[in-house]
This record gives sequence, structure tokens and C-alpha cells, in this order.
Amino acid sequence: MIKTFCEWLQDTAFAQSISETWFPMVESAHVIALALVAGTIFIVDLRLAGLASRQLRFTQLSDQVLPWTWRAFLLAALTGGMLFAANAMTYYDNVPFRAKMVLLVLAGLNMAYFQFVTFRSVAQWDAGQAPPAARFAGFASLVLWTAVVACGRWVGFV
Amino acid sequence: MTVIEFSDWLSATPASQFIQVTTWIIPAVQTVHILALALLFASALMVDLRVLGTGLRSESLQSVADRFIPTIWPCLLVLLVTGSLLIVAEPGRTLGNPAFYLKMTCLAAAIIVTLWLRAFARGSRPIGGLASLLAVVSLLLWGTIIVAGRYIAYIESN
Repeated sequence: MIKTFCEWLQDTAFAQSISETWFPMVESAHVIALALVAGTIFIVDLRLAGLASRQLRFTQLSDQVLPWTWRAFLLAALTGGMLFAANAMTYYDNVPFRAKMVLLVLAGLNMAYFQFVTFRSVAQWDAGQAPPAARFAGFASLVLWTAVVACGRWVGFV
Repeated sequence: MTVIEFSDWLSATPASQFIQVTTWIIPAVQTVHILALALLFASALMVDLRVLGTGLRSESLQSVADRFIPTIWPCLLVLLVTGSLLIVAEPGRTLGNPAFYLKMTCLAAAIIVTLWLRAFARGSRPIGGLASLLAVVSLLLWGTIIVAGRYIAYIESN
């Protein structure tokens, strides 16, 4: 089912024009986008983990940094989708690519749990040190996004 | 000694040979390189957005600059070390490559612009046209550095 879709996708005129012409440009945009996604998330994670920006209220930082994370993530997902289309069958069988997708889901779950559970008590810890659950979310996010970047890089090396 | 002779000499050194036969080193070093550039680029973005009036407005430019510009220098050090390792690994791919020299030229300019912005943030002048121009140029330079870095893989070395 997924494999049939990948075969169809890769043969579309859109995918072939990326593969033949646009790949380096789309990839460059993907690197800029992922750098902003990872970098802005790290800034927030380091605050949660208590390692940086400690003088700043958590929401003061997150309210102003995370909108840029989302914008960059949208660009990363769009360009990533285009890169995937160009060589869909290769990526389908690529272990680091599959691992990267699983890690992205885990990073999303970690973020959702933080947003909908841990973050509800933010008024109590906004100005000070985050509680253990929030610090854990920060560390987990650092580890997961590092692994996402590593798997992304390994896609081209197997 | 020409660049080509130097590349040939470097790629024959034991250090280069070791990296060439140990296949996981290059993607691992590239992963660290990308993580450091992510944090650097996001930190530069925070300062530039504050100058442009679209980010972290609840803080003064001086405190945003004092928080994020000191993050740039250790990231740059990591980038120089990992970048040098990548050159040692594949000197012929990089040292004759116009994209690499464009990247290094933009890097020198980006460092100057960052120092200039820091000096501005420490002064008492209101944010005006010059600072806004520096912020835009800073974003363009870091973006070009990332794109040129990716194009080292696509442009033929001389």
C-alpha cells in the first residue's frame, strides 16, 4: 500500500523535476529550515532543563520563540516532502529514514504531553526552575531532535 | 605548493586515511556540525528579530544580545573544528571548491556583522536604519553560508 504510493509518487512529473533539477535547492532550504527548527527548540529546551535563559520567564521565551519553530517546521516538512517524492522508493527502504520518521513522532508525542499536561501548571513555575516533568521534557526533546538530525544525515550514507 | 598538491598531501596523511576508512565518522561529524549551526543560526535569528522589532520585545536589545550572542562563539568553535575534520577527511572535495570559498568569505563578513551588532546593542543609540540593515545582512549571510555549505556537495572542485 505505502510502497505502491511511493512508486506512483516517484514517477510523477513533479517528483521527476525535483530529482532532475531542483534537488540541491530544495535540500538547501531544508537545511535552513531544520537548523531553525532544531535551534529554536534547543533554546526552549535549555530553558526547561534549567541550563540557559534562567532569568527569563518560561512563557516569555516560549511565546516569542516557538512561533518561529512552527514556521520553520512547516518549511522543513514541505521541503522534506519534496525531497522524499524525488526518491520515494529509495527512502522507503532506507533504515535511517524510517528511524527519523519514528523519532519525529516521538518528539511530537513528547511535545504534546508537555503542552497538554505539564504546561498546565506553568503559572507555578514560570519564573523559576521547571518541575521534574518539564525538565524531563526538555532533556527528552534535546535527545530526540539530536537523533532526528543524526538520522537525517545518515539517510545519505547507507 | 598548490591547493591541489596540498589536498593530495593531506588526503594521504594517516588522519585523513583513518577517517576515509572509518565510514561512520563523516556523518557523525556532519551531525555535530549541523547541530552547532542550528543553535548558532537560531541565536543569531533571536538577536536579528529583536533588532527588526518582531521578536522578544519584552526585553531590551541589550539583554537579548547579551543572552544570545555569547552562544554564537562556542557554536562557531565547534563548527570550525568539525568543519576542519571534514576538510581533512575529503580535502579534494572542499579546497578546490568555489562554494567553500564563498562560504568562508560570508563567514568572515558574518562575524564582523555580529560584532558590529553587539557593539550597537551595548551602546545607547536607538535602533534605526543601520541596525536594521545589519540584522537583515546577518540573516542573509548565515543563510548563504548554509546554502553554500550544502552546495560543496554539488559543485565540482577545480
